[in-house]
Amino acid sequence: MSELAALQGRFMRWLLQGDPELAADVADDGRLPLQTRLEVYRNAYGLRLAEALADSYPAVHTLLGDARFDALARSYIEAHPSTYRSIRWFGDRLAAYLAERAPWCEQPILAEMAAFEWALRDAFDAADAAPLARADLAALPPQAWAGLRLDFHPSVQRLDLQWNTVQLWQAIDDGREPVAPERGPYPVGWVIWRRELRTWFRSLEVDEAWALDRMRAGAPFAEVCAGLVEWIDEAYVPERAAALMARWLIDGKVIGAHA
Amino acid sequence: MTVSLTYPHLGIGLGLRKEHYQSILDEPPQIDWFEAITENYLVPGGKPLHFLEQVRARYSVVLHGVSLSVGGTDPLDWDYLRQVKALVERIEPAWISDHLCFTGAGGINAHDLLPLPYTGEAVRHVARRIRQVQDFLGRRILIENVSSYLSYRSSEMSEWAFLGAVAEEADCLILLDINNIYVSARNHGFDPLEYLAGVPAERVQQHHLAGHQDYGDHVIDTHDHPVPDPVWRLYEAAVQRFGPVSCMIERDADIPPLEVLMEEVERMREIAEGAQAAAHV
Repeated sequence: MSELAALQGRFMRWLLQGDPELAADVADDGRLPLQTRLEVYRNAYGLRLAEALADSYPAVHTLLGDARFDALARSYIEAHPSTYRSIRWFGDRLAAYLAERAPWCEQPILAEMAAFEWALRDAFDAADAAPLARADLAALPPQAWAGLRLDFHPSVQRLDLQWNTVQLWQAIDDGREPVAPERGPYPVGWVIWRRELRTWFRSLEVDEAWALDRMRAGAPFAEVCAGLVEWIDEAYVPERAAALMARWLIDGKVIGAHA
Repeated sequence: MTVSLTYPHLGIGLGLRKEHYQSILDEPPQIDWFEAITENYLVPGGKPLHFLEQVRARYSVVLHGVSLSVGGTDPLDWDYLRQVKALVERIEPAWISDHLCFTGAGGINAHDLLPLPYTGEAVRHVARRIRQVQDFLGRRILIENVSSYLSYRSSEMSEWAFLGAVAEEADCLILLDINNIYVSARNHGFDPLEYLAGVPAERVQQHHLAGHQDYGDHVIDTHDHPVPDPVWRLYEAAVQRFGPVSCMIERDADIPPLEVLMEEVERMREIAEGAQAAAHV
C-alpha cells in the first residue's frame, strides 16, 4: 500500500472510529492544539451526516426531539457509514434500523414514519414519465382487455402502515401539535407517487392495494379481476376493476399499457 | 501566438440553491451565470432537474462536484463519472469543477473535503487521476483549493506550490477559492498574498467567495455568513493579480432571500469591473 493510501486509511479510521493514530501524521506548529485540528474534522463528519438524516426525516426528528434524534443519528452513522457519492442517498436503511434496534424498535411508529418519509423522498426525484390518458385505454378493442398489462410511473411506491403514521406526518408537516400515535386494528395500504412535480399519497382499500400490487408485478388484467372475487361478489367485479383502473389513470400513475 | 488554456470568461455568478429556484424564474436577476452542485442533480428526475433545466434555459451554468475524490486512493468511481458525463450532456455547462482533496477511502464516503499531503507522490497520483477524468469527460476540468484545518508532517512543499504542480502536471484549470485561502492562511499561519503570487495565473478559470466562522484561534469554512471584509480585501488583491476571472458567491446555510445575496453580487461586480477598467488603461 502506498504512503498516501495508508495515510488516508488512518484519516478515515479517525473519522469513523476515533482511532487516534492519525495524530502522529499531523504537524504541530504550536498555533492551535493538535487535538483541536483533528476534532474539527471529526465533528464536521458527524454533524454533516446527522444534518442529512434530519433533512430526509423531519417527522422522525420531530417525534424524537433533538437529543434523541442526535443519539439515533450517531448510532446509525456508526452502523451504516455512507457508501454513496451523493449524500441524498445516505440514510436509506434508517427504517430497517429503527425496526430492529432498541430502544427505537420499542416505538414501532418510528420505523413506519421513516419508511413513509423515505418513500416521499424517492417519489420526489424519481424518473419523469408522461402519464397515459384515459382515452388511450378507451381505444383498446374489448378482446385486448383480458391480457392487458400496465406500466406504472417510476415514482409509485407502496407501503402498508399499521399506525396512524400519515395522519401524524401531516400534523407535523403542517406545524400542528402531533396527534398521539395509535395502532390501527389492521394494516392500511398506502400509495405514494408524483404527478409532474407534485408528490401525492392516499390510502387504499384492501382490494385496491392487492390489485395494484398484482398489476405492478406484471399480472394481466384478467388475473386481477379473477382475484377480486376474494372481496367482491363476482357480478360486481367488472365494475370494480374498471373503477380501479380509471382511478389509477386519473391519478397519473399509469404510463403504459400493452396486451 | 499564445493559445489560451481557459474557457471563455463568464462574469459574475452565484451558487444555485433550491431556496432561490422560484425567485430566479419569476424575476430573473442580473447575474451572468450560476454554479450548480453536480451531486444534487445526479437523480433520476423530478424538481431538481426540472429547475436546473429552467435556469439553464436562461443562464450559463457550470457544474461543481463535491465527491470526485480525485486525491483519493480508492479506484476512480466510473459509475459516478458516467452519471456526471450524462448530466454534462444534458445541461451543457460552460465547465465543470471539483476539489483538490480526497473525500473517503475503503469504499466509505466521508462527504467532506479532506486534505492531501503536499508531496511529490501526491502530485503524481492526483495529476494522473485528473488526466484520466479529463480524458473520460473530453475536456479540461477545474480543481479547487479546499479549506484545511491540519497539515501533515510529510508535506514537502507549500499548498500553492502543490496546487500549481498538480495543475501543470495534469494540464487542468484552477478554481481558486478566495475564502478558502483566507481560512487556511489563518489556520496555518501563511501569508495569503504569497499564496496568490504562487498560483499559475494562466490556469485560473474561476473564483469562489464565501463567508466563514471565526473562532479566534482558528476559522471554519461554513458558507453561512455574508462574505466578510478580509475576504473582500483578498478578492481585490486576487483581481489585481489575475485580472478578470469569473467569480461567484457560495452560500450553503442560513440562506437569505435572493435580493439580499444580490447586494453581495453587486459588490463583487464593482470590484471585478474596477479591475477590468484598470486592465484597459
